[in-house]
Amino acid sequence: MGVDEDGYIFAACTFFAKNHPGEMCGSNGLPLTPSSVTILGQAQRLLHLEHPNLCTYLDVIRCKHERIIVVSEVIGKSLNDFKSKFSFDQIMNIGLQVANGLNFLHKQDIMHRTLSDDNILIDNYGYVKLFNYGMHYMTKGGNEIPFPLGLPRYLSPEIILGGGGPSADVWSFGIILLELCIGKLWQNLRPGPILRRILTLVHAGNTAERIAREHDHYDAYKQVPETLRNIIEKCLKIYPSGRATFSELVHDLSALDSKQMVEVKRPQGLLGCKLQVLYHLWQLAGGDIQSELKKNCLIKNSPPILSMPIAILLDGSTIGGKTGALFDRRIAMYSLKLLKQRLSHISPHDFYPLMHERKKEYDAVTLPKIIRERDTEYQFYRLLWFNRLLHGYPHTASYIRAEAEIDIPPLVRGDVWAALLGISGDIEDQYERIDKETPTPTDRQIDVDIPRCHQYCWLLSGERGHRMLKRLLKAWLLTNPQYVYWQGLDSLTAPFLYLNFCNEARAFACMQAFVPKFLHKFFLKDNSSVIKEYLAKFWQMTAFHEPELATHLHEIHFVPELFAIPWFLTMFSHVFPLHKIVHLWDALLVEGPSLPLFMGVGILRQLRDTLLSSGFNECILLFSDLPEIDIGECVKESIIMCRSSPRSISYRRFTKETISKDPMDLIEVPMDVLFSEICPRISLSDFFSLMCQEKCCVIDIRSNLLFDKSCIDGSINVPYSGVHLAQRELRALGLRPQRAIADAVRLNKNVVIASAEHETAQLFSDYLVKCCVPRVCILHGGIQALHANVPSLFTVPPPRNNGNK
Amino acid sequence: MATNRSGTAQRPNGAPQTKVCQFKLVLLGESAVGKSSLVLRFVKGQFHEYQESTIGAAFLTQTVCLDDTTVKFEIWDTAGQERYHSLAPMYYRGAQAAIVVYDITNQDTFGRAKNWVKELQRQASPSIVIALAGNKSDLAAKRMVEFEEAQAYADENGLLFMETSAKTAMNVNDIFLAIANKLPKSESAGGAAAGGRRLADGDAPRSSSCCK
Ligand SMILES: Nc1nc2c(ncn2[C@@H]2O[C@H](COP(=O)(O)OP(=O)(O)OP(=O)(O)O)[C@@H](O)[C@H]2O)c(=O)[nH]1
Ligand SMILES: [Mg+2]
Repeated sequence: MGVDEDGYIFAACTFFAKNHPGEMCGSNGLPLTPSSVTILGQAQRLLHLEHPNLCTYLDVIRCKHERIIVVSEVIGKSLNDFKSKFSFDQIMNIGLQVANGLNFLHKQDIMHRTLSDDNILIDNYGYVKLFNYGMHYMTKGGNEIPFPLGLPRYLSPEIILGGGGPSADVWSFGIILLELCIGKLWQNLRPGPILRRILTLVHAGNTAERIAREHDHYDAYKQVPETLRNIIEKCLKIYPSGRATFSELVHDLSALDSKQMVEVKRPQGLLGCKLQVLYHLWQLAGGDIQSELKKNCLIKNSPPILSMPIAILLDGSTIGGKTGALFDRRIAMYSLKLLKQRLSHISPHDFYPLMHERKKEYDAVTLPKIIRERDTEYQFYRLLWFNRLLHGYPHTASYIRAEAEIDIPPLVRGDVWAALLGISGDIEDQYERIDKETPTPTDRQIDVDIPRCHQYCWLLSGERGHRMLKRLLKAWLLTNPQYVYWQGLDSLTAPFLYLNFCNEARAFACMQAFVPKFLHKFFLKDNSSVIKEYLAKFWQMTAFHEPELATHLHEIHFVPELFAIPWFLTMFSHVFPLHKIVHLWDALLVEGPSLPLFMGVGILRQLRDTLLSSGFNECILLFSDLPEIDIGECVKESIIMCRSSPRSISYRRFTKETISKDPMDLIEVPMDVLFSEICPRISLSDFFSLMCQEKCCVIDIRSNLLFDKSCIDGSINVPYSGVHLAQRELRALGLRPQRAIADAVRLNKNVVIASAEHETAQLFSDYLVKCCVPRVCILHGGIQALHANVPSLFTVPPPRNNGNK
Repeated sequence: MATNRSGTAQRPNGAPQTKVCQFKLVLLGESAVGKSSLVLRFVKGQFHEYQESTIGAAFLTQTVCLDDTTVKFEIWDTAGQERYHSLAPMYYRGAQAAIVVYDITNQDTFGRAKNWVKELQRQASPSIVIALAGNKSDLAAKRMVEFEEAQAYADENGLLFMETSAKTAMNVNDIFLAIANKLPKSESAGGAAAGGRRLADGDAPRSSSCCK
């Protein structure tokens, strides 16, 4: 389409949604969903429609006082603004393009209902697009607005009588064509009389001729080519069933159309970007839809006293005091000047990044993610690059993962998540096949949970959001018969719905892929051992990275069962608002299933000082009413912890990952042993690689007799029998061990306890945790296992010089 | 009778020092009957239409002043879904008081409440003070459980009973006060059988002991 360089490229219009009188409640005792919220939910689907003869919807915004603002692509000017007459060839061509757009809408089961000469736009090259064709759809047939839809002179008789279906659009289309041929109809008449005129047509044999006669244009009408007249007459049949359909009209008009359209090359550079991207970047650059509307007086700021109702009736309805028009036909237009200035220094070359080009480094990468997300230039580069990669998915999956590790642009988060979860194939078809309607006993619980699930989010609080969430949950339960509905599953589904509001099937596919990866077996009917194991591992990770805090919490008998079940069962989605969850999950999807354990530790770490100075009651209160958590910081810390921890220490038996049978990797212990251990165990192979990288300090707690015979090269001997567990001071261990441990702590090394009996290893490692030594773990299988598998690590220590124990 | 937001006992100047008693109270009942809403109303004086569902349990405290004593409630608000049932003993074990909640617009929730009462009578401390709350009394137009029916049941089982509304605040403070009044507060009556609390081994939610 031709976009003239400095022209307007999108527009906004505004109207008011209906106000529910007073404090009305629905049948469940909850307040009725505000109309504006319903409209917002409905309109989401429109944002995803794309057709060459439709102006793409870009945004729907809900403002104060039930005001809705609709943002859409705009081109050229409207039919209404053209003063000169069109030739019959031009009329047929315009007609064909309009019919194409309407045909597409009808195929999507969307009725226009408001077609008029001011929402058919034509650009300089003769390309036609329909503007704001979704009023009827987004307002649920006008139910959610306090004003009637459509301009009177385009309404079909059955609409005026209060009925009507999609064929009403055919009538309006016929009137448009007729007006193009013989001029505007019923001018200077007020709405009432116009409607009456239309109704009198009911008795006419040939409606078009009758209208032409009424306007003294019969001769002009007769000069219209017969083919075109036939089409008009097929549209203006009184009985809706007698009218042509748009697919027939497209067929007829294509046969007549002879116009050669000018090839318009896709613009290069910035304007070649997708409109949605441009709109997003324009906003980041400071573009503000509302302020422009105010400037154009489409939103008036009047003092509240003037908008107060004159009277309020007992049923809650009000009289008087309305301000401004409920629906303003005017639109405000926006150019990209602002954005162009902001990005003017970008070289044309940068618009076409090559797949295998070396990755560009941007300064912004060092800034926090939330700031990066608002940086126009940074987002510009990221979006270009991600769109490129997403286009090549699934072949580009590994590139996408690598880029997602840096950050994920909010505009494409839904696509990127789906890619990270490996979604591909015909998901629509699979989802289509699942029975989402048949009632089940779980429905009651789902029904009471959905209206409590992330309801601050307009999308999820609307009727459409509720319906989709219920369908997703039912579909998921039916597809996973081994699982049951646990409260919290609703919160877990919410982020996927939120990011895939117009792609229910993909939301489902994501959910379906997410659970086995991160929450394997969590939703079993009896999930207690799964959850217990998870919490035990979480507690061990806390001792590993935050020994002082762990000791304190152990001492006040503060256990994770009391607060952390919702954290992990819902992967934090029941605990944080959506804007925080998305950042947590961005990291989760890249780093994998161990990360959440460390996120838990990350949260504790942020509350560390408060927790350390609190007793049991204060601690539990803190978690019942979680204070503000800096998610960016939490993610950063948890990734550092996760990557720096030997993999085996966070080993869980209940995962989907295949478990190696190699004795070097083996680490499983009976559950009751696991629950009694404060420090995690490390596998022989992890230990071996730490040794090779010189990243650990080994403390051998066997007797010095055994140690002197053969020991791990570089290990320190602290015979367990000589340790006073009550002392809690490293000094008590003697100078050499104290130094060695202090050095290990300073260098972030792991402190591995090697022993001949497991009990002593456990007691000694607990002791070190109490001495606030971080990164303590126990060598699984102890000295014997290591000796049996990696004898090469052993050596005979040099004889000791007595007196320096 | 005033409740006190700060959570500390009010001690008017010059008045004789009042006794401070601490009691553990647990809320039980079917999901969505309004347990969390009752607690939120009692503790913070608020009501959220879209109160989030409770997973596991939540803990809050609130203090009420009686004539000569200050009663500090340690409130455990539990998850209502039947599946979370296995966690419940962890919270009602060692509790001196329980509020069993049902929704007056839903007969099934009343049945579930009766089961909770039975379970408490069997498993909880024998001296536990149980109150039955018929919540959402503001929705009287949709009533499915008659006041008289619930009253009769409460009388039979020796329960305190009130119809409450977390939304309008009706009877919310009153039911907590009625419990506070009924709880034994004298030191002599101490021990696990009376107001004092004994911490059984493995009894997770614990804190300091009762009367000081
Ligand atoms: N009309 C009315 N609605 C209430 C009242 N109390 C609670 N609600 C509503 O009922 C719903 C459930 O309340 P919650 O407090 O979450 O119920 P719950 O018992 O804690 O539920 P779970 O946490 O699932 O066990 C919420 O939407 C509340 O707004 C009340 O007194 N009147
Ligand atoms: Mg609750």
